[in-house]
Amino acid sequence: MSLYQLQKLLYHVNRDPSHRERYRQDPVGFVSSYELTPEEESAVVKVDVRKLYALGVHSLLLRPFTLLHQVSNEDYAKALAGLE
Amino acid sequence: MPIVFACAASHAPGMTAWTEAAPKEQADRFLQRYRKLGERLAASKPDALVAITVEHWANFFLNQMPAFCIGRTDHYEGPVEEWLRIPRSRVPGDPKLSPQLLDACFDNGFDPTFSDELVFDHATMLPLHFLNPNLAVPVVPVIINTLTPPMPTPKRCFEFGQFLGSELERSEKRVALVATGGLSHWPGEAKHGKINIPFDQKFLETLRSGDRTGLTKYSHQEIYDEAGSGGHEIRTWIALAGAVQSWPAELVAYEPVVPWATGCALVAFRS
Repeated sequence: MSLYQLQKLLYHVNRDPSHRERYRQDPVGFVSSYELTPEEESAVVKVDVRKLYALGVHSLLLRPFTLLHQVSNEDYAKALAGLE
Repeated sequence: MPIVFACAASHAPGMTAWTEAAPKEQADRFLQRYRKLGERLAASKPDALVAITVEHWANFFLNQMPAFCIGRTDHYEGPVEEWLRIPRSRVPGDPKLSPQLLDACFDNGFDPTFSDELVFDHATMLPLHFLNPNLAVPVVPVIINTLTPPMPTPKRCFEFGQFLGSELERSEKRVALVATGGLSHWPGEAKHGKINIPFDQKFLETLRSGDRTGLTKYSHQEIYDEAGSGGHEIRTWIALAGAVQSWPAELVAYEPVVPWATGCALVAFRS
């Protein structure tokens, strides 16, 4: 569990065009430069909304990150259905 | 010169990013009033626009999270969100007014952080898009942490606003003051889309009636429970109410826009 690192990765991708470009070129390589667990790495690479939310990612990091991946409002809501 | 214009306005990203998801009539009505407010701002001929604003992980992260931060450079970039449908632009700053304001803060018992490099997200860019569409008026951002606790209390925000107001009234510049933030909303959460209309209406009425006690007694927990994590942004509105305490407030618009996932409001204050 390395929520700080996980959130930092999303923060960098969301806010900084150069990080975003590196992430887009090579998502797997990019995530490996953060100290993440295999579960966290996989959740980022798969853009697993429900998993990232359950891991505790702040909603205002998660939603902008998913918007970069064209996740619609409807699909985002579906991914979180039933969670608190 | 004094404060020549003051308003509080919502900044839901859906207003530009997914405008058409909202019922057309409701969206048109709200955005038209937003633009009209921009015309009133321009008519007041301000030299500078002080934005009491927030941010959403655009500049600050958990390695450093200032309670208050004032930008003091000659330009800012934004928005950071490429999906906002607002073109990325360079926003002029006011490198004279910013340090004056900072010096006055420190002389009067407020110790905000300062920054010579800030980017703007939708919290600042969206209101500027409607209120200062040509980015003609230089901006001084005053950012309040409403993102992650601990954050300044509504009482502290009111007092900080009160100080900013008294200082700006003495400024040699004509200043437009804009507060920006949402009313009730749960952005990106499982409850995303919920709007607490009674909370919003009660808050707006408290603001409109200039009820200082009512505005300063909101607790962090009460806001979180009733208005969600996004509701913490009402602190900017409370700071503005402190800044222009004696000015009557006019509710220009309130629309609970479900696809924009928040109660959207515009309040103008008149001297």
